[in-house]
Amino acid sequence: MAANVRVNWGKLLSRILLYFAVVFICLFILYPYFVMVCTALKSRAEIFAMDGTIFPKVTMWSNFIDIWKKAPMAKYMGNSIIIAAGSTAIAMICGIPAAYALARMKFKGQTAFLGFIIVSQMFAPVVLLIGIYKVMQILGLTNSLLGLIFINAAFNQAFTIWLLRGTFMSISAEMEQAATIDGCNRVQAMFKVLLPVAAPGIVTTLIFIFINAWNEYTVALCLISTETIKPLTVGINIFNGYNMIEWQYLFASSIFAIVPVVILFMSIEKNLASGLTAGGVKG
Amino acid sequence: MKQKKPYTHLNKTEPYLWILPSIILMAIFIIVPIGFVFRMAFSQVTKAGLIKGFCGFNNFAKVLSGAKFGMVLKNTIVWTILVVGLSTVLGFILALILNNEFKGRKIARAIVVFPWATTLVIQASVWKFIINTDYGALNTLLKTLGIIQQNVNWTPTPEAFFAWEIACGIFVTIPFVCFTALSGLQSIDASYYEAATVDGANYWNKLFKITLPLVKPSLTVATVLNIIYVFNSFPIVWTITKGDPASRTDTLVTYLYKLAFYNGKQGEAAAVSVIGFLILLVCASVYMVSTLKKGDE
Repeated sequence: MAANVRVNWGKLLSRILLYFAVVFICLFILYPYFVMVCTALKSRAEIFAMDGTIFPKVTMWSNFIDIWKKAPMAKYMGNSIIIAAGSTAIAMICGIPAAYALARMKFKGQTAFLGFIIVSQMFAPVVLLIGIYKVMQILGLTNSLLGLIFINAAFNQAFTIWLLRGTFMSISAEMEQAATIDGCNRVQAMFKVLLPVAAPGIVTTLIFIFINAWNEYTVALCLISTETIKPLTVGINIFNGYNMIEWQYLFASSIFAIVPVVILFMSIEKNLASGLTAGGVKG
Repeated sequence: MKQKKPYTHLNKTEPYLWILPSIILMAIFIIVPIGFVFRMAFSQVTKAGLIKGFCGFNNFAKVLSGAKFGMVLKNTIVWTILVVGLSTVLGFILALILNNEFKGRKIARAIVVFPWATTLVIQASVWKFIINTDYGALNTLLKTLGIIQQNVNWTPTPEAFFAWEIACGIFVTIPFVCFTALSGLQSIDASYYEAATVDGANYWNKLFKITLPLVKPSLTVATVLNIIYVFNSFPIVWTITKGDPASRTDTLVTYLYKLAFYNGKQGEAAAVSVIGFLILLVCASVYMVSTLKKGDE
């Protein structure tokens, strides 16, 4: 009997510790976001004041309106959407057939192609910036949204193919075979049979690329110089001047850049993690 | 994956048509730039970026003899090892915590997603604000809580700045490790643990004999990907210090960015790119060889 009671105490204690840890971790992770929101609602004078407070003394909701006047925020947002949507579309148009071929056909050079996809991951755009810049000059795509779209699509090909191939391989080919017997050709079989079944995996991939392209900073920083075609990640640094940082505006505009993708990300987090590792483990 | 390939009379060229769009896309925007970088690394390049003929290992010699390069390389290695190592350990521990059944678990998971989904440049800006000596949020918080009376200078030296950058890197990398580890943890069959409990195993036995070996494949993939990303990570260092003062917080990528776009030394920048790629290639081949060996066993 006494032993029993002791076990329960231990369980209770570990339970309390667990909740304590979870609450602490969540607060810790949310802290930078909390700082961002509080600062976005302060006036400039209050931010730089010697006796600063955690919460704003006077809540400046107007900061969220001012940023649209002080910077071409609507343009930035539009550009981010165009870049992210365009990159996603091209990455999927090129990636779906490639992933399909890798999952359903056997051909010479298959291993080499997969190998190249993995090796291509080692070249981050930042390492290749000089070369990318040269290619863009040749194509006349420096300082253009289209150039960024192609770069994002290309550097996300590896993930696209990796995730989609895993999804397609987890689906039995029998249904497609049956469809071909019924007179469908391969393209029809893919569109009518495979893609609807693979929809959850496709949506996960799609959102993941969209977020990657939305969050991309380095290439855009290097290629885009015209203010009105900058995406949000680069554009908001208009408030991050060399001598003077307008923190309240920087963070107010940052919130607009964060909220949409965080919500999107929550919707795919579960499928994404298993998809990423599955592609690697099954190789 | 033992299934018969569905189509017996497969046209020989057909698979290549299917992968063609993907290959064209990657060829133009990845392979051609790689070609340019390698060519420029072995060429004289003018300030305006014109390629002027072969110059052997001249650019490499210049880079390697540069006074700052040793320090930049050291910074990059310290940065990569500390960020990847610590975020792997912490991310795994976080995954163990989140793998328990408790109330509010869904909310906790949603919160952990935040740093993964947020663009690095914004996270770095916030941390820059938090650690500011004069008006930073950390000093304000600690003063309000009564822990400190005067503002503390959190970044008295370049090394301190670099340490904060590493902390920021760890903070943003943990969620990725955590979720890959979680997906591994959730695929472990509960019967293993039940059997172990019957055999009298305690918590730590189970952790090291069952959990860790079974999560290892997921963790390995996450670690390999992380080594590549963290090694090549640009926005955090760029936003917080731009590698200053005097390259003491530079990593290879910020260093090459400045060489190429601030100092007009594109040839040398290309050489730094090639050096960075070779380092990653060595790491990758170690991984490939070790996995291939396992495959043979």
